[in-house]
Amino acid sequence: MNHNEFKKRILISLFGELSKYEQAELEEHLQSCEECRQELEQQTHLLSLVSKHKTLKVDEKLLQDARSQLRGAIRAERQGNHLLDNLAQFFSGLVTAPYRAALSGVAVLAIGLFLGYLFFHSPQVTLINDNVKPASDINFYENDVKIKNIRFIDPVASDGEIEFTFDAVKPLHIKGNVNDSKVQSILTYAMLNEQNPGARLNSINAMDSEAPQKFDKDIKDALITVVVSDENPGVRREALKFLNKFPYDEDIKQAYIHVLTADTVTGLRIEAINALSNLTKKALDLKQSEVDLFKQKLETDKNSYIRYKTKTILQNYN
Amino acid sequence: MEISEYDLIKAAKSGNHSAFEELIYRYDKSVLAIALNFVQDRDTAKDIYQDVLIRVYRGLKNFEMRSEFSTWLFRITTNVCLTYKSRQKKREFISLDERFETEDEDFGKFEIMDSEPDPGETADSSDMGEIIRNAVDSLSVKQRMTFVLKHYEGYKIREIAEMLNCKEGTVKKYLFDAIRNLRKKLELIYQTAY
Repeated sequence: MNHNEFKKRILISLFGELSKYEQAELEEHLQSCEECRQELEQQTHLLSLVSKHKTLKVDEKLLQDARSQLRGAIRAERQGNHLLDNLAQFFSGLVTAPYRAALSGVAVLAIGLFLGYLFFHSPQVTLINDNVKPASDINFYENDVKIKNIRFIDPVASDGEIEFTFDAVKPLHIKGNVNDSKVQSILTYAMLNEQNPGARLNSINAMDSEAPQKFDKDIKDALITVVVSDENPGVRREALKFLNKFPYDEDIKQAYIHVLTADTVTGLRIEAINALSNLTKKALDLKQSEVDLFKQKLETDKNSYIRYKTKTILQNYN
Repeated sequence: MEISEYDLIKAAKSGNHSAFEELIYRYDKSVLAIALNFVQDRDTAKDIYQDVLIRVYRGLKNFEMRSEFSTWLFRITTNVCLTYKSRQKKREFISLDERFETEDEDFGKFEIMDSEPDPGETADSSDMGEIIRNAVDSLSVKQRMTFVLKHYEGYKIREIAEMLNCKEGTVKKYLFDAIRNLRKKLELIYQTAY
């Protein structure tokens, strides 16, 4: 084995990945080669220096924050899948297997055409840009189609092939009534998925601009997801304010308690404790585990107002 | 008695969310650690963590258990890390075009990305730590990923090759190149100290 090969083995040896035989060969070589001994010392020192200044570690708080955000994201994902699953289940129950594939395709096409008709011909929703084509006709090379968010599944083209996904986005201009269910669906999607927090905030405020004619469960669930998982505190606050207008129920109570116990922003915890303290004892209906959470909050919260309000709530329970 | 991974995967594939959570919680700390050591930023690491596990959630129904779940998961992790920066540049460009305003003074200060300083980051204010971080950050994405997986996370070369979907020889080459480049960047420091 030549000298350069031994030099390469030094790094692998420091990582503990040489076989016993290779390690023995290297050690024998080191006894007679000053250059390689120096190389070993320098690489050992370099790796030690890098290790010593490794500062970022995964602590429990970081992990729990990440898990909390993930739960919100998965809940939003499930809400999106729910409608599609129900439709698929309904149609697959209607027909036997041999005809299912063909009839499912026809059914999906019919639904698409029907929804397109409803969406674009509703008197409450006016499409400003009437050059809309069905998705299947979108040409990637048209000027107004943008390609975004390329995600590589297999970027290494060692076998000549790569695999990736991307979004082909065509802008649409919509004008309609904020209480229209189609408009609300888009706004709900935006408050959960838009990257820009200003857009998420505007979506929430748009729906909150008038008193809702009915309290939609999907909007409520989306607001709860935003309250517990949005990274931006301003967005969480607006969602919490809007949520306060919904008829109180167990889901909303859990959202308030989550904010009170887990949100790092004091203003939001104050909003939550104010909402909870406005409820009667019967409406609040705390379980023992929740009473324990309040007791813990009384001991640990840094804000004296929150501790005071928590104490008031607990006194009503004693 | 702990449930086997095979049973967890089967349950998760059939829609059992508790099984899915238990499955990913066996590995998610490692996912977060890889992301954190790769991007050197807590918020970005959380974004990558979420991106990876949402992909796992969506793709689990097509996972056919031809490889270990951990291999598949960490392969997604490395891919997302490797492509994160190029996707991030596009998002930053769009975000800067729109302002976020609020009427409330208390929340006016919370602009697009609000986070309190990381105690771990502020504690390490020494020049040495920053120089070393910059040196690791200056490596190419594949050299950096290989170095992080080997030196910080302790994976074997064979495991890293599976995650990066390449040969072991390629992993060794990335490691050699990473060390050579780090030595160039840090030569003055460790020669002075050494």
